[in-house]
Amino acid sequence: MSYSSATVIYAARRSAVANALHDGQDLWLLPEDLERVSGWELTPEGVCREGLCVPVPPGKESFVSRRGTETWVNLSQLARLLDQLVVASPKHGVWFFGDSPRELARPLTSLVAPDFTLPDLDGRLYTLSHFRGRKVFLLTWGSW
Amino acid sequence: MKPQGLEIITVALDSRGAEGAGEWIRAATPEHPSLIDVEHRVAALYNMVNVPTGVWIDEGGRVVRPNEVAFVDNRWIDYTKTDMTRYVAGLRDWVVNGAASAFALTEAELRRRMALPTPAQALAAANFRLGQYLHAQGHWEDAIPCFKQAQAFHPESWCYKRQAWALSDAEKYYGTSFKKEVEALGGKPYYAPLDLPSVG
Repeated sequence: MSYSSATVIYAARRSAVANALHDGQDLWLLPEDLERVSGWELTPEGVCREGLCVPVPPGKESFVSRRGTETWVNLSQLARLLDQLVVASPKHGVWFFGDSPRELARPLTSLVAPDFTLPDLDGRLYTLSHFRGRKVFLLTWGSW
Repeated sequence: MKPQGLEIITVALDSRGAEGAGEWIRAATPEHPSLIDVEHRVAALYNMVNVPTGVWIDEGGRVVRPNEVAFVDNRWIDYTKTDMTRYVAGLRDWVVNGAASAFALTEAELRRRMALPTPAQALAAANFRLGQYLHAQGHWEDAIPCFKQAQAFHPESWCYKRQAWALSDAEKYYGTSFKKEVEALGGKPYYAPLDLPSVG
């Protein structure tokens, strides 16, 4: 395990963490950083977010560890328990937490066109759902 | 091609953003929203594997036809193997007739055609995003293994392949090229064939 700074991309939001511990693909954060980057909060019931609590499993599966006076939470392990994907470049201190297949599939199974907001060349933002009431032909292309 | 009552929205999937797509958009002087998707988010949301891909969306925001190859003419018929004028005619028919159009798919047919992401594809998506981030940060050589992982986990995605190849020297770093890969298909279609009703 070594200490370093880290860049965490969680739920498509990027945050910088000044003080993290990492071990291979595992990223350990202090509780205040955990909450700031992911919204998960360490409580006596476990790690909780939006009314959902994940109890801290005992033993090797555990995602909570004490080191001296500090408590560290393994966000990578938590992600695995939640069926979330984690890919990392420890060399560059980057951790990317991606959606699970179930989460990726959810908007498609609703049959409602997944919404997005993107800019044009002038930086003007457009949101697909703002075109409700009109038929839309969505066309993707690539210059490559 | 803008039938009455149809909003056309184009999205350029391009990690290089305006640098890659800008000159094409400027040359086309489009009247419709021409958006730039640096992270390929739309491809991830709709589980698209190639370009151009078209999706028809009705007034209520519901998908009417999911991902299909969507050229407006037959310039690329060697790749599409389909008469694209029938696709454009179908689009016009749907604009006029809405849900009554033979081209508007039933819910059952829509679900049958809609490809949902597999665990391997979700892993591919995560690797592709990490690769894009590293590339954008200037760590382009370290992005290459991530792009290779994405390609390995989701080999059907031409987007993952062609975008990555375009960001470096494909021959040097991936030992391949678009031409070689298309030749390697050995007659298998580059685009999934269109499945259109014979009316319209």
